[in-house]
Amino acid sequence: MSDNAKSVTIIMIEDDEGHARLIEKNIRRAGVNNQIVPFTNGTEALAFLFGPDGSGNVSSGRSLLILLDLNLPDMTGIEILEKVKANPHTRLTPVVVLTTTDDAREIQRCYDLGANVYITKPVNYDGFANAIRQLGLFFSVMQVPETT
Amino acid sequence: MPLSRSSFILRTLSLLLLGLIALAGVVVTNVWLVQRTQDYVTEVTELRRLRAAGVDLRSRLQDAETGQRGFLITDNPDYLQPYNDALANLAGYMNRLAKAAEAMPELHPRIEQLTGIINARLDELRETVDLAQQGQRQAAIEIVGTDRGKDLMDQARLILQEVVTAAEDRLGRLGRAQAESADALWWVSVIGGIIVVAITLAGLLTILSYLRQLAVARQEVEALNVSLEERVRERTAELGRANEEIQRFAYIVTHDLRAPLVNIMGFTAELEQGVTTLQTFVANAGERETGPEYEAARLAAQEDLPEALGFIRSSTRKMDGLINAILKLSREGRRVLKPEPINLSALLESAVAAVAHQVADAAGEVSVDVRVPNLVSDRLALEQIVGNLLDNAVKYRRRDVPLRIKVRATARPGGLVHITIEDNGRGIEARDHERVFELFRRSGQQDQPGEGIGLPHIRAIARNLGGDITLNSTFGQGSVFTLVLPAQLRATTRSMAA
Repeated sequence: MSDNAKSVTIIMIEDDEGHARLIEKNIRRAGVNNQIVPFTNGTEALAFLFGPDGSGNVSSGRSLLILLDLNLPDMTGIEILEKVKANPHTRLTPVVVLTTTDDAREIQRCYDLGANVYITKPVNYDGFANAIRQLGLFFSVMQVPETT
Repeated sequence: MPLSRSSFILRTLSLLLLGLIALAGVVVTNVWLVQRTQDYVTEVTELRRLRAAGVDLRSRLQDAETGQRGFLITDNPDYLQPYNDALANLAGYMNRLAKAAEAMPELHPRIEQLTGIINARLDELRETVDLAQQGQRQAAIEIVGTDRGKDLMDQARLILQEVVTAAEDRLGRLGRAQAESADALWWVSVIGGIIVVAITLAGLLTILSYLRQLAVARQEVEALNVSLEERVRERTAELGRANEEIQRFAYIVTHDLRAPLVNIMGFTAELEQGVTTLQTFVANAGERETGPEYEAARLAAQEDLPEALGFIRSSTRKMDGLINAILKLSREGRRVLKPEPINLSALLESAVAAVAHQVADAAGEVSVDVRVPNLVSDRLALEQIVGNLLDNAVKYRRRDVPLRIKVRATARPGGLVHITIEDNGRGIEARDHERVFELFRRSGQQDQPGEGIGLPHIRAIARNLGGDITLNSTFGQGSVFTLVLPAQLRATTRSMAA
């Protein structure tokens, strides 16, 4: 685990607190100790990512990784994904889409919009834990560029 | 007044018949009247001839008498000229009269009488003339003086006058009759003509009103047609919307159902980990602890908790299966079909090849008989249906007989294709023939894994293709599944849900 990876902050946008807890638990179990900032709705998450002025300047210099659920109470994850990938300060931030939808069209759409990884939350818990753990391994080896 | 088709036909036909009868009456009457006129003309000609013959004969007799008297008075033979002429022609005139008198047979006795009188008169004339020529003029004049000749002449004149008068009377009557029949002819023609015209008008009116009615009816039908098409379009759109809504509903529901399921499963796993820890602890504590509280804790950790967790797990797994099944069906409804030309023979062969291994294991055989020239449909959908039916045939075979599967494809009227898959498997009881196509329902002995979604799924696909799947089966002997498909899948069939 490099120093760079350690400084990465994981932004978890997930409205289901149970899912959030399970994801966090499994990430920790995979040995990832990065700070996790949870949000349960899109509005708060966008405010954090782009600042009160919505410009995204606040994110310059941050090393972030976004875990994104598509079903949010106030907006769809797709909208957040679009905004993140359209803003110059956040467009290089890796986005992991983590949702129950395994519809091929929706997955394709997420990748088209620039999602880096798409993971379907399996109901089979072992599969789920496994996926999250692999995600942890993925976090530990990836280089998250600092946004400018 | 509304006119039904049968009453229209009846009415026009009866009018036509009436017109024909009237026309025939006019024609027959005319023919009869013309015939009668011809008879009149013939008779008139005959009567004229009779009258003329009577007048001529009388003239000739007078000529003969004039000649005789002139000669007797003058003794000049020149005066005998009219007498000779008359004498030479009299027989001919007599004959003419007798012949002409045949037109009036009642005159016959009078004519005979006349013949006798004229002959006697001629004898008297001849006698006097002969005497005069022999120079006995006085004797001849004496014979004339007996008045015998005058008497005869008067009688002859009387009879001739009778004949002429009779002929004239008869001519007069005929003329009146002819005028009457001409009148009749006129009336018959006029009345007949009026009747024919009236009937024609009535017929025309009937036809016109019927035509107007037809036009009105046609307008109504057209209007109805237009509104019907409109309604069909509306209903189709409504159905399309409803269908879309149901599919979206199923899709959303299944996704929203999965979210809590993820939690249940996730935390069940967490619980299992906790239980494992507990079990280890309890097992180790057994050496130090005793007593009823410890026993209860041990029982809970080693039996009750794992059992409960096991049930939670199996139930959630089952629920996941059901949700997935609904999801799959809703996806199938949303999938856009891609019609393409398909070599059905090749498709069926490859589907059979996919189960060849299992068929060989069951010592079975599959025959394929394709009699369909071409097919345009969605390849993936067809493969899914045929694959599923073949899988079922293998899965639900009878273990005590070699498996026989017959795959047949035939073209049917109406642009349809029937693909039948017949097996000699365990079959399905009649009461379950519809039920097996319902979601999560299964039939017969439950010795094979499955969730009861295969048949409903492929039926949904088949209906999406504009076809259907039907079942014919005898329990214990085998099943025949028939897939009915349009030979040409049109892209528009599914436009509403696309």
